[in-house]
Amino acid sequence: MATIVEFKNYSMGFKDDDGQVFNLLDRLNFKVEEGKALGVVGESGCGKSMTSLSLMRLLPDAATVQGGEIFLEGKDLLKASEAEMRDIRGNKLTMIFQEPMTALNPVLTIGQQIGEILQLHHPEMKPDEIRRLVLQSLVDVGIAAPETRIDQYPHEFSGGMRQRVMIAMAIINHPALLIADEPTTALDVTIQAQILDIMRRLKKASGSLMVITHNLGIVAEICEEVVVMYAGRAIERGTLKAIFDGPLHPYTRGLMASIPTMRSEKKPLHTIPGSVPTVYDFGPGCRFAARCEHCTEQCRLTVPPLKRVGKDHLVQCWLTFEGEVIEHA
Amino acid sequence: MKERKGFLYYFVRNRNGMIGLIGVSIIVAIGLIGPIFIPKPDGYTADILIAPCAQHWLGTDNLGLDIFAELVWGARTSLYVSILAMLISGVIGIPLGLLCGYTRGWLSEVIDALIDIFMTLPMLPLMIIVAAIMGTSITNVALILGIFSWPQLARVTKNSTLKIREMPYIEAANCLGLSKPRILFKHVLLNASGPVFVDMTLVMASAVLTEASLSFLGLGDPTTWSWGTILKRAWGQNAVISSPNPWWWWLMPSLCIVVYVVCFNLLGTALNDCLNPKGRE
Repeated sequence: MATIVEFKNYSMGFKDDDGQVFNLLDRLNFKVEEGKALGVVGESGCGKSMTSLSLMRLLPDAATVQGGEIFLEGKDLLKASEAEMRDIRGNKLTMIFQEPMTALNPVLTIGQQIGEILQLHHPEMKPDEIRRLVLQSLVDVGIAAPETRIDQYPHEFSGGMRQRVMIAMAIINHPALLIADEPTTALDVTIQAQILDIMRRLKKASGSLMVITHNLGIVAEICEEVVVMYAGRAIERGTLKAIFDGPLHPYTRGLMASIPTMRSEKKPLHTIPGSVPTVYDFGPGCRFAARCEHCTEQCRLTVPPLKRVGKDHLVQCWLTFEGEVIEHA
Repeated sequence: MKERKGFLYYFVRNRNGMIGLIGVSIIVAIGLIGPIFIPKPDGYTADILIAPCAQHWLGTDNLGLDIFAELVWGARTSLYVSILAMLISGVIGIPLGLLCGYTRGWLSEVIDALIDIFMTLPMLPLMIIVAAIMGTSITNVALILGIFSWPQLARVTKNSTLKIREMPYIEAANCLGLSKPRILFKHVLLNASGPVFVDMTLVMASAVLTEASLSFLGLGDPTTWSWGTILKRAWGQNAVISSPNPWWWWLMPSLCIVVYVVCFNLLGTALNDCLNPKGRE
């Protein structure tokens, strides 16, 4: 199975006005395989969005890459020129956003907007051909009456419909990887289910998917692989089954325990005390230390080693786990 | 082109816009066609200071020249000056405003400083100096107006751009591989076009007013008629305060200026409403 995207020891941080760099993403390592969906999970401020922007090479001005590599189909994106990146964005790598209400240009019809992306990466296409393909893409994402809809403006669409349009726009060029950044957060629950359904169907039909979310339910629905991020580190990763059946890192366990279930007993829902530290407050050791119930002096002072605890399961923690092998310190 | 049809559909149903359009069309028609049929008022005749009558629809001035003919020739000048001034300020102001709002860093700050400097300059006195140095041809007046009115257009464009730059659809456009110039001159400009259009009509209106002021101060082109020139001559002959008062002499050019400015304003506001798909309802 081919690897579509691979992060290798990738680190980035933010520069303050004095030029001092504060590390955020710390030696990220993970892969997205062809035809698979990867879920990147964590609270707000864990660096999930920075991960996807790194991949797109659209980091904010204050951000700076500190090392490592990001491969897309074997090509190191960090070494690609801006022109090459423009060709990759919208074509091989695309993204859908959290805010469908404002992610479409209000003064262009949706046909013009989807068509522009197609035209951009296929300049030789004729207008008829573009219109035909745009109509097809609207059908693919389940928009009724596409012949009418194609000439309408975004404000004539509901939130769920706009998210479908966003998806149509993102998949029109059959990307190798579609990044979905909180794709359902702003939508009604019923609409969420429909959007997830579309994404699951699309994954079968075309490339790979990277879902960035804090919603473990979505991950369980469509992902095969999971990376749990905390304050810029991938503290636990593995297959969906491995993570959901046997979460090991105290943070992952806390997240799992915080999900309400239909069978929840009459006791308060589990919460993880505190909040994610900002990039300027990271300590020298484990970044979760301050909120961890198993925290020791060692946790506070030294970065935990990465341990392999199963064939498809890695965790970065000082706790001792059954069958652990230290992958690297 | 369904989009254009949509725009026209809403535009013809916009009452103010249609009033403005009709008014502007009439002025344009008079300015373009009128001088073909009506000879340029020149020299003097014996019919001095005749009140409006069948022969002289809007009366005559103290040289016996027909006011209506002067206004027709003046319309041509006013059109020429205001359109040229608008084009010049648009060509300078819009790209600078877009760049200033969209980029961060030195370029943005340099443009910003430039706008500030030009805006704090006392416009009319400076124009008087420049007009005095460059000479008083009608094209010079238009050039001066254009060069001095771009900053407000740049500022309006910049302010809209600052807001639009942060919108998710601009981020989305980046993620979908659109180039920076394309994002700036298509996606940002289209969204900013409403306020920018309105401001361009304001530039036209103020160009006519300033041209009238310059002419009134004697810095217009003495060889052509403009509404300001007529006013200046009326003023020079104390027409405004003399009695019996030749009211047609000063009132008619003033009305022309007011109607022109109002019509362009109505047109600009209607364009703003109709270009924004959301504002059409």
